[in-house]
Formats: sequence, C-alpha cells, structure tokens
Amino acid sequence: MTIIKEQRPENAPEAEGWESELERVGFVRRILMSRRWYGADWWFVAIASVMVVAFIVIALVPGWFAPYAPDAIVGSRFLAPGEHPAVPVLIVPVDSTVNDLKDLAVAPDQPRPPVAVVQGVPTGGALNEQAKAIDDQIKNEPGGLRLRPQIDRYPTIEKALQAVVDGTDVAAVIQSTEWEKLAQQYPMLREGHTITGEISTAGGFLLGTNDIGQDVLSRLLWGTRIALIVGFSSSIVALVLGVPLGLFAGFIGGPMDRLLSLVMDSLYAFPGLILAIAITAVLGPSVLNVIVAIAVLYIPTYYRIVRGQTLSVKEEVYVEAARSIGARSREILQRYIFPNVIPSVAIIFSVNVADAILTGAGLSFLGLGLPPTIADWGIDVARGQRFIQTGWWMITYPGLAIIAVVLAFTLMGEGLTEIFNPKLRER
Amino acid sequence: MRRYILTRIVLTLPMVFILATLVFFVMHILPGDPVRSALGPKGTPEMVARIREQLGLNEPVIVQYGKFLVSMVTLRFGNSLVLGHRPIIDEMSERFPATLELVIPASIVALLIGILGGTFAASRRKRPIDYAWRIYSVFIYSLPIFWLGLMLQLFFGVRLNILPISGRIDPVIGTTLKSVTNMYIIDALISGNWPALWSVLQHLILPTFTLGLILSGVFVRMTRINVIETLQADYIAAGRARGIRERVLVYGHALKNAMIPVITLIGLQVAILLAGAVLTETVFSWPGMGRYLVERISTRDYTAVQSVIAVFALLVALISLAVDIIYSLVDPRVRY
Repeated sequence: MTIIKEQRPENAPEAEGWESELERVGFVRRILMSRRWYGADWWFVAIASVMVVAFIVIALVPGWFAPYAPDAIVGSRFLAPGEHPAVPVLIVPVDSTVNDLKDLAVAPDQPRPPVAVVQGVPTGGALNEQAKAIDDQIKNEPGGLRLRPQIDRYPTIEKALQAVVDGTDVAAVIQSTEWEKLAQQYPMLREGHTITGEISTAGGFLLGTNDIGQDVLSRLLWGTRIALIVGFSSSIVALVLGVPLGLFAGFIGGPMDRLLSLVMDSLYAFPGLILAIAITAVLGPSVLNVIVAIAVLYIPTYYRIVRGQTLSVKEEVYVEAARSIGARSREILQRYIFPNVIPSVAIIFSVNVADAILTGAGLSFLGLGLPPTIADWGIDVARGQRFIQTGWWMITYPGLAIIAVVLAFTLMGEGLTEIFNPKLRER
Repeated sequence: MRRYILTRIVLTLPMVFILATLVFFVMHILPGDPVRSALGPKGTPEMVARIREQLGLNEPVIVQYGKFLVSMVTLRFGNSLVLGHRPIIDEMSERFPATLELVIPASIVALLIGILGGTFAASRRKRPIDYAWRIYSVFIYSLPIFWLGLMLQLFFGVRLNILPISGRIDPVIGTTLKSVTNMYIIDALISGNWPALWSVLQHLILPTFTLGLILSGVFVRMTRINVIETLQADYIAAGRARGIRERVLVYGHALKNAMIPVITLIGLQVAILLAGAVLTETVFSWPGMGRYLVERISTRDYTAVQSVIAVFALLVALISLAVDIIYSLVDPRVRY
C-alpha cells in the first residue's frame, strides 16, 4: 500500500496569508474588514459613534461645557430662552466715574449722594438692602467711607432718568430690561454694573431658567452624567449576569435550562417599568437602587439571545470536532461558543443602554428612584410639568436631550445589526 | 387544536406562579421596611409593631407567601392602608375601566399606523418613502412617552388651546353622567348623554395618540419586515406572473399572511402598552391603574402597591395566553 502524500498544486496561492488573517479576525477587525464601508449603515454607526463619544465627554467633564453649577441659582425665575433677566442696574451720566454701587461711598461728613428709583418697583428695596450690606462691609475699613445713598422716588422711569440727566441725582437704579428699551432715547446716560455686583447675565440664558432660577442648559449638561451612569451601569450588570446564564442554559440543556428559561420568559413578559417602579419603591431612592432595578429588567434580553445562539452553535461541526478530540466543556464554551455570541451581545448592549436611559428617565419622571436633588432630565421634565402654562422650555429641552442620547445608542445598534447580520440586510 | 389550547393554558400557570413569586420577592424579601417608611420619622415603635401585625408581616415568610398566592387567585387583596381603608379590589374596579378606555383606542391607533405605514413602506422598498418610515420607527422608539404627552399638551392644549390636557371628562359635565361600567364612552352612549360623549372624546384624543404613536413604531417595523418577506414568496411571484396588479398583490395577498406574526407581536407589546399607560396616565392625570399605582407609592400604601403589581402580572399572563390562542386559530400550522 502506498501512502499518497497530499500535494499542493504548484500554482496554488499561499494559504498562510488568509488563514492567519482569519484567525486574528476579532470584533473590531470584523467591523473594519466589512465590505460595506460605503453603505448607509456605516453612516449610522459613524454619526452615532460621534454622538456617543460627545455625550461621554460631556458626562465626564460637564463643568467644561456648563456655564453654571447645576444647582446654583443664577438668575430670575422663569426666564425664557434668551430673555434678558431683569436685574437692577446703575444708570449714570456718560462722563461719570461711577460704575459700581461702591463708587457712591463718601466720607461721613459729606452730603449723602442722591439716587433715583421708580416708585412701587422693587429696585428701591433692593438698593437699600444692597447699600446696607456694602456699608456694613466698608465701615470698618481704613478711609472711613460710608455708603448711605439718599433715595429719591419718582413716579415714572422717564422722570427718574431725567433727574439724572438734569444732575439732580448722581445715578438711577432701574431694571436692566427697562433700560434696554429706553437706552436709545438717553444718549447722555450709560449703563453701569448691576447693583448686586454679581456676574453679568445680560446675555440671558440660552435655554432659559427654571422655576427657582437655575440655568436650564447647565442642568441639562450635568444631567448627561446621571443618564449615562444609569444606562451603562445597568446594562453592564445585566450583561454580566445574563450572558453566562444564557451560555450555561443553552449549553447544558435539560430541565435546568427549561426552568431557567421559564423564569426568564416570565420576567421578559412583565412590563419592565412597572417592575422597576416596584423595586425602587421598596428599596428607596438612590442611584445604586435605580441601576439594580433596571439591570434586573434586561437580564432576560441577554439570556434569550445568548441561549438561542448557543443552542445553534452547539450543533456546528467544529464544536463536535473539538469535543471529539477531547476538549472539555469549559474550553468549548470559552473558545468556540463564546466568540460567536459577542457580536449579538454588542448589538443588544447598545440598544439596551438606550432603553435603560429611557426607563431611568421614566422612573425619575414619576419621582421614583433618583434622589430629587440630582440634576436629571426626568426630574427636570416632571418639575417643568407643573409650569406647563408658563415655561415650555423647562419641559422641551431636557426631553430633547433624552431623545438625542437614546437616538445615538439606538442608531448605533441599528447600524451594528446590519453589519453583523448580512442576512437581515437582504430583507 | 383543542390540545394546543389546553397545553397553552396549562403552561400559563407556571408563568403566573413565577410572576407572583417575583412580585412577592420584590415586596417582601428585598431590604427596606415598608411600614417604617410609610410612617416616616413620626412612627413610634408601637405603631410600627401594630401595623406589622395588621399586615401579617410578623408571620413566617412562607405563610405570608401562601397568603399572597391565595389573595392573587381569589382577587381579595385586603383593605387600603390609607384614605378610608376601602377594599383594594373596589378601588381597582373603578380604575381599571379607565385604563381600558385608554389602552384600547391607543392600540387601534398603533395598529392602524403600523399596518398602513409598514405595508406602504414595504411596497416601496428602498425608495425615499421607505426610508422615511424607517426613520420614523427609530425616532419613535427613542421618544420618552411622557415627553411626547407633554409636547402634545403644550401644542394642542396650551398653544392652540383646543383640547383639554388632563382628566377624563369635563368636571361639570361629569356630574351629569351616570356611571355604570365606568368606561365613560359606553356610559355616555347607553344613557344617550351626547354632551358628555363629546367631552369624553375630547379628553381622550391626546392620551390616545400619545400612547398610540409610541406603540406604532414597533408595528411599522414589524409589518414592514413581514410584508417584505411575504412579497418574496413563490405565490406572490406566481401572482405577478399572472399579471395581478401590484397593489392587489400587496394589500390583498401579502398583507393577510404578513399579519400573522404581527399578532404575536401584539402579545409582546402588552408590556410596553402597560408601562406606557402608567406614564401616560401620570402625564394626563388619567385616573387609571397606572396613576393609582404611582399615587399609592407616594402615599406608601404598601398593600395597594403590591396588589396593583400582582394584577398587572395576571393581566400580562392572560393577554399572552389569549394572543397565543388567537394565533393558533389564525394560523393552523401552530402546534405543540
């Protein structure tokens, strides 16, 4: 008997090249090597990735982007987007050296500087209060200056301003919004600082302020953090529990598998939000409890997909081959089955983060889960609902933020599905 | 056929049992003392002890579990902890019709949009209109339902001021309506109270569309995929070869068969529907089961919360049973 040696034809291409390449094909490489770079789905993934990265950056360092701290009270209440806040400002003659309320301080023996205000407008009170505060501060300082302006009340803004023009008063204090309307008519007057000396908010707030005078934009940017924390953490917890359970159940089969599947299917059928409501209601409000409540909901999602794939991969010839050469179960699971489920897990994870953010927002909208002091979109929308007649911006913008984040993760999942499941693409 | 239905009914029992166990686990085993949190800092140890005794929380867990299962089967949930201590089942039977009145029209809206949109998109596959519908379904999926409700309120209720934004009926007209079924549309119809019917319908529009639009995204998606799949079947090709018009093929031949898997989907959507109803009811102050749940959580009415969630679990199991039975009637291929 002659042994026929296997011979490679002379002109056969080098096999090593693609073989070694195939071995190295992993998750990232498979994306990069896909033939579909030019398809619309890549644009989905590309745009979504940019958005996701942007949101992650914002969530990591919201302070770089947000003009104010999330719980700082920075302006008047209910300012519409771009609306200038009404701040009492000093109005002085163009050639005056006075800029600040402090500049009106004089030595105790000098006459008190007269300041014009309008009757029946809170500026007079604000001026008194502020002057007293500054006076208390400077009276012990060297120089012995005192700030005790003499307040002249006029019936109208025009009369008050005229008094400054005439020189009867050294300055007037009026609301900045009023001054904007009148500035054209008084070229001989100019706007000084606000009498409270706080940061100038003359530009208004891009997205307005809420019912207690916090900046909506800042809260929105800071809210990214909690949304992503809840979304990512709960999905990761669900993944870490769901994937091994699915692998295990699919691989061993039998009554254990049936029992586990029954439990998971029941959990899957139950309305997620309602279960999360129950869990958070019992556990009490905290970020960790929200993450736990939402993670429980998504374990079945991973379980079902991973189990299904394990069942079909288990029957593949290469698994049988591995088993026939004596590979242990653990090895088969680890090296032959697990890599096959990675792509679907990546897809579910992406969609899952989106879902978890929505559920989390729903929970905090209902006033459950998160402590009310946290800057969160759901909480902000719920708060805005009470003022729906006055402040549309308090509801609209946090909602748009939720949509943007959820859309980014959903699109990512969509794109990944199309890339990893060529069969689906043909549909 | 009968064998399938029987098997299916038998298989529902473990599902109900597992869901009940889950609810019990969440409400009794998880850390956190409902009585202490209900009483707040004012509660003296004696009060806590008394209420625990009243609720049977001092009994062994296994006894509590047994009692809970019995209460779920008999629907006797005991009395509310707050406000008049009425039997919970009475309170729920007032709220449940309100939820039905919201959920049924919403499902109809969702199905109409889903079936029409999905079939339309499928028949014009890869054309702009198809992409538009796909984007619609992805976008709808990303919308927080409570936000959609508020936006509709802002536009139609506040800006245009043509639709009411909360409640089920105008409170003045509401006093003239005699409630029999607590589903106001039916009540108004049987008593012939037309102003009431008009008011009820007006109040119904925004919540219905909020819930219906959110649900419609999934239906568009599923119908589209199924119709596309069916359109590739041999009998469609045969019909095409015989010169049957495309429109007849799509809406007459393909749609009917494509609808079969969509029926299963309705069963799966029940979860989204009920969860959506909780949020919609909260936004529109709609006095249904969902709002009842949220209200009772804030008043710490532990018994009521547990009962509502148990009822939701029962509902889910029953609806999925019903859907599967309908499915088996529509598609004779389904067998165990």
